[in-house]
Amino acid sequence: MESKRLDKIPEKIVIPLRQHNGFVCEALVAKGDEVLIGQKIGDSSEYNSSAVHSSVCGEVLAIEEAAHPDGNKVLSIIIQPSDSEETVPFTPAKNPSKDALIELVKESGIVEHYGSPTHTVLKPRDKKIDMVLINATASEWIGGKYTNAKEYASQMIDALKLLMKAAGASKGAIIIGKDDSESIEAFEGVEVDGKKLLVAPLVGKRRLDHYFKDQESNILVASQKRIYGKNILNFFTYNVTGRKVAIDQNPTDVGVAICGVKSAKALYDAVYEGKPYYETVITLEGPGNCPEYMLVKLGTPFKDIIESCNPGEVGKIIANGVRTGVAQYTDEVPVTKGTTKISLQKPEDVLRDEAEACVHCARCVDVCPVDLIPSRLAVMADQGRFDECRQFHIQNCIECGRCAGACPSKIYILQLIRYAKNAIGMAYEDLPAKESSNLKLGCCGGE
Amino acid sequence: MYTISAPPHKKSKFNIKSLNWSKIFALVPVALAAIYLFGVPALGIILASMITAVVTEFGIQTIFKQKVTVKDGHAALMGLMLALLIPPEAPIWLPVFGAFFAIAIGKHIFGGSGSYVFHPVLVSWVFIRSAWAGPMTPLSTPHITMLSELIIENGAGLLVGASPLALIGGVYLIYKRYVDWRIPVTFFLAVFLFHQVIAFVSEIVHLVQEGVLNPLLYLASMFIFLEVPGDISYAAIGVVFFGILFLATDGPTSPVTKKGRLIYGLICGLLVSIYGLFGNYVDGTLYGILLGNCVASYIEIKTMPASFGQECWLEKPYNRIVGIIPSAFKFEVVTDE
Repeated sequence: MESKRLDKIPEKIVIPLRQHNGFVCEALVAKGDEVLIGQKIGDSSEYNSSAVHSSVCGEVLAIEEAAHPDGNKVLSIIIQPSDSEETVPFTPAKNPSKDALIELVKESGIVEHYGSPTHTVLKPRDKKIDMVLINATASEWIGGKYTNAKEYASQMIDALKLLMKAAGASKGAIIIGKDDSESIEAFEGVEVDGKKLLVAPLVGKRRLDHYFKDQESNILVASQKRIYGKNILNFFTYNVTGRKVAIDQNPTDVGVAICGVKSAKALYDAVYEGKPYYETVITLEGPGNCPEYMLVKLGTPFKDIIESCNPGEVGKIIANGVRTGVAQYTDEVPVTKGTTKISLQKPEDVLRDEAEACVHCARCVDVCPVDLIPSRLAVMADQGRFDECRQFHIQNCIECGRCAGACPSKIYILQLIRYAKNAIGMAYEDLPAKESSNLKLGCCGGE
Repeated sequence: MYTISAPPHKKSKFNIKSLNWSKIFALVPVALAAIYLFGVPALGIILASMITAVVTEFGIQTIFKQKVTVKDGHAALMGLMLALLIPPEAPIWLPVFGAFFAIAIGKHIFGGSGSYVFHPVLVSWVFIRSAWAGPMTPLSTPHITMLSELIIENGAGLLVGASPLALIGGVYLIYKRYVDWRIPVTFFLAVFLFHQVIAFVSEIVHLVQEGVLNPLLYLASMFIFLEVPGDISYAAIGVVFFGILFLATDGPTSPVTKKGRLIYGLICGLLVSIYGLFGNYVDGTLYGILLGNCVASYIEIKTMPASFGQECWLEKPYNRIVGIIPSAFKFEVVTDE
């Protein structure tokens, strides 16, 4: 699948100094400086942080707070691009060691699309990783240097090997979508160490461990139903490996590192070409002639991407999918490392439903992938009965939004559940600090 | 300017209005069959009941300054369902009062749509059935002996009994996922297998008392399930199907948990069968479901699902036993790292 490259050079590029959930980087350039493609412009000495690179050649216009697609404002470097395609010299790494790889991940600014810097996933403090999973169920085919599907598959296998090496893990797997015939075709029969791999379907209680024995390989390609949501990692880990992650922990606590397709590809490029992470492929959806996939430079404002596909009048811009994504109040927000998808809606398609009384039709119960009773949780969250929410396992919610999508009464179930989860998170301080993608009240009102 | 709102930004088009109106459309065939069989009085009862229900809801919501929700079709649905449970000979004021009672007492006293504990139609039906037993007693109780009676049942006592087959719209609703399948399926099985199960158990008890040791005889008693019991002709009537497809599947009066819905259907089926065994299936269905409503929320609380990935009740003992067995006895290939 070919992804179209955004040809137009934007008027300005906005590169947030924080594109992950961790510490904000410090700017390494000043106003008026000239930058090159791939030049490191932001870095932090903290471990839980990731470097930021310029994606264009040009002049730094300003370093100021700018809109970020998660709804808040973040200190950003604003660059006026020139036509030049000059890059800093890229030097491929030759057979890097484990620690060199981790350092390379941090220096190349590789970040998971769900927010964690990749090196903190691969090498968390005081924890040992023994399995690396690449979640390719969302099927974001990455653009880049491959001519056919088989080459993509073998590149992904190489990327997985690099990730395993960086994490010091003995096992690894690529998880693709069950209904994604394109990926299945690409991976069917891919060779690993001279052995042909078959795509292993994960059904029922048959999980990865079974196939590691069955295929006598430490690298697997497995397929399963697509899981989506804001908070899927624990559920994904359980579904794929059978390891149960406690509610206040994350998959690295049970020795599993979950990476995305994009970060795997970015690591591949960083090692074999020396390129840092400054380009990404996003999915587009909406009216007009949107290409399905587009290769864009990080920091490109949404405005230029939207203009390139002539959607007509736009009523709503949504980053990261219509189910769980964040609606944008301005089209000045840039593409960041966490952006996977931009959805556009016409003004007449924008939902304006009013919530009505719950009629207990149980549709939300039927669609919930993690066996919750969303209708009950919504009522209890609305009344502030958070302890009871906790008793009904509200923390298991993966925030996929299916319940709110299916509700005939149009109740904002997902919003209520998130409200209760945040309240519980604040009440129990032993739970890890959660990065909210919601808008902070009062920060960005009438612009 | 762009709209901002909380996710999800795309929802299914299905709403309360389409749910209620689709149920009304599913009941249109049986209403037409009733008008065909009983003539103008049936039409009068249906219209009187539906109009009263809608007017009552409009009046109550206007007086109490609530948002008027007449358009969502719930009141009209309640009126239509109540009309179908009234005999055609009843005077016209009876459905009028019944519909008023259903909406005012059955629905709005409890807090309106989605909040009631008992099905408003059943509440109202039980009230007018007890208060005016004379006009509410049907002239005949249906007893299906021929297949053709499934299409038009001449022995029908209530409007809904006119044509059991015309209730097929309810099955279509289940097929289209407008209504969940769990309650109707277990309800149906419980009603129509009740007599076979009793016959089977009594056969086994009988064999045990006789002191029979031949296991084949015990196995042979399974064939009881293949015999069609005589009682089925009393159960296969319009009001039972109506109860299974429309009354029991009502949202607020049934549990929301998946397991709970299966159990609820089973309990309704048992209650209806017990009533039917000693009385008749017409009253039995309605009283049975009303009693089922009483235990619905108890079932719901007792069947709250556990956190995902927890062992179910069968796995727990299995895993415990497997844990005790020394690994030497296990047929498992252990590879060394």
